[in-house]
Amino acid sequence: MTAPRLPRLLRPAALGVHLLAAVLVAIAGWLGFWQLEAWQAQRAAEASDLTRTEAVALVDAMGPDDPFPGDRVGQPVTVQGTWVPGGSVYVEGREHDGEPGFWAVTPLAVGGPDAAALLVVRGWAPTVADAGEPPTGQAAVTGWLQPPDGTGQRDEDPGDDVLPQLRIADAIQHVDQDLYGAYAVVDPEAAQSNAGSDTLVPADLAELPKASRFTALRNFLYAIEWWFFGAFAAFIWWRWVRDDSALGSASVEDEVDSVV
Amino acid sequence: MRKLFTVYRVLALVVGLLLLALTLGMVLKYGLAEGGDLQVFGDELTAVVALIHGWVYVVYVVVAFLLSRRAGWSLQFLVVMLLAGLVPVLIFWVEHNVASRLRTEHPELRDPDRVTG
Repeated sequence: MTAPRLPRLLRPAALGVHLLAAVLVAIAGWLGFWQLEAWQAQRAAEASDLTRTEAVALVDAMGPDDPFPGDRVGQPVTVQGTWVPGGSVYVEGREHDGEPGFWAVTPLAVGGPDAAALLVVRGWAPTVADAGEPPTGQAAVTGWLQPPDGTGQRDEDPGDDVLPQLRIADAIQHVDQDLYGAYAVVDPEAAQSNAGSDTLVPADLAELPKASRFTALRNFLYAIEWWFFGAFAAFIWWRWVRDDSALGSASVEDEVDSVV
Repeated sequence: MRKLFTVYRVLALVVGLLLLALTLGMVLKYGLAEGGDLQVFGDELTAVVALIHGWVYVVYVVVAFLLSRRAGWSLQFLVVMLLAGLVPVLIFWVEHNVASRLRTEHPELRDPDRVTG
């Protein structure tokens, strides 16, 4: 037994080991996060790429009675039809640049005036009054297809044309025809004809398409690897501390190696 | 112990070959003019092999650790074993050292081909 000087695990050589272990764990952890961020960034990039694919006709994406096609979130679609201005609604609580406001939504009857209509988000305005008059007549619109909101929040005040959410079940109270189980957000950069969005700020997409499960999977796997190495370095350090303190108290040396 | 030893040797061989493939891929990827067939091949080879090597190396780390515990080797030697899995060619030499050291310290592991079971 040595005299009780500095604790064994605080001698300079041991401090070096502690420091090395901390540095290794920190580096591995950081590299793991770095890969995880790359994974997320690439997936986000792919998701927004899908919204820039070529527009398809609405009929090619979904029919009036179809459930929302899950692989078409954010798909650009073109729709021709007749506005149903009387069915216009305003969705409250929509933000633009952090400012709360409303989405101006008008149904577009696809084909004849009495045919099933697609809800079209023409744009955003800070107040309902700012949204201006809904458009009338014929229109050809290009927009991103979005699934209807569905968290089940009820319209507390069905008498007015302000909705808490863009739910088909609420919106259908405002029109006389069927509605598609989807809505479209007008793409401000695409060719439009009478889209009724001139006086409005372009609305932001509520839902971006999902990136493929395999997108940037490599980065995700690397992230896990790095964290494994970090954990392993911590484990080795822990073993070292255990063995080293066992060496310090020389009398109890034999019981240590029984594990593993 | 024998099983662990065999697993370690196989893993060391695989890691070593993957590192050689990775080196080849890197040489093609960075050594040739961008866009050529061979250069693109090197790029893809590097991406695939790096991923596989990473995961095989994870297993290698665990097995090397278990083996070094079982053989009662120092931490320093374990570190050498682990680093060898990251440096091309070095691993063949380390694996050779590990094998001969293990056979010296554990004579029953000699000539694994002749002993069955």
